Amino acid sequence: MLDLDPDLDLQIDRVIRAPRARVWKAWTDPLDLARWWLPAPMHCRVEKLDVVSGGAFVTSMSEDGHDFGPHLDACFVVVDPRERIVFTNALDSRWRPTNPAPVAMTAEITFADHPEGTDYRAVVRHADARSRAQHEQLGFADGWGTVTAQLAAVAEADDREDHG
Amino acid sequence: MAKYSASLDEVFAALADPTRREVVGRLGRAPASVGELARSASMTLPSFMKHVHTLERCGLIRTAKSGRVRTCTLNRKRLGVVDGWLAEQRAVWEGRTDRLAAFVTDDQEPT
Repeated sequence: MLDLDPDLDLQIDRVIRAPRARVWKAWTDPLDLARWWLPAPMHCRVEKLDVVSGGAFVTSMSEDGHDFGPHLDACFVVVDPRERIVFTNALDSRWRPTNPAPVAMTAEITFADHPEGTDYRAVVRHADARSRAQHEQLGFADGWGTVTAQLAAVAEADDREDHG
Repeated sequence: MAKYSASLDEVFAALADPTRREVVGRLGRAPASVGELARSASMTLPSFMKHVHTLERCGLIRTAKSGRVRTCTLNRKRLGVVDGWLAEQRAVWEGRTDRLAAFVTDDQEPT
């Protein structure tokens, strides 16, 4: 695995209590993916999901389930069936270079067998957003209040996982 | 890499506590002594020191003793790890992973 930059990258490890084939299908079947890709109450529609190297990965989202707007326009970089998915939004689904907000990223999802189900890992590498981060730190006071609730939710979710 | 991930977990865990969030918010305005912080948290010094140690261990604050007074200072760079675009992306991916796990386990046949 390539090195990670702690200022730019993140890694999530999770044991999912379901067989690897099931987790793989949830990622690669458009109807399954639409069920979990976006948080409720958002509706997700999977427009293109061509799970091969270079294939299109396009999703749209809607608040009311009728009017859908763009969510993700990306492409798969590497696909190792039932083992690994790598996709990026730095190229769109037609391979045109993009400048996505808030920052370009490449996500590497790996699936491995685990005695209790599936060893699931997501590594997400981001483009250098230091100028953006510095800008946000200037607005420190405002940013702090808005992010606290989100932080707590994430930390508590981690905690539940630890004790679950 | 595992080391970095663990230390980030420590920062999130430290911030999950309301008393410690209050301290971080207060230090965001100006450095303060441990005594002042304990009083505004309405806690005894010994129990408050546990929170100070937790915050210091994960790097969110630094403390320095001058005479009998220990002063706490916010380490904004460390806070930047969680209070920026990367924390948002992390929250997005944590959420996705939670929903994926729930989706594939909810439709399993009971065993």
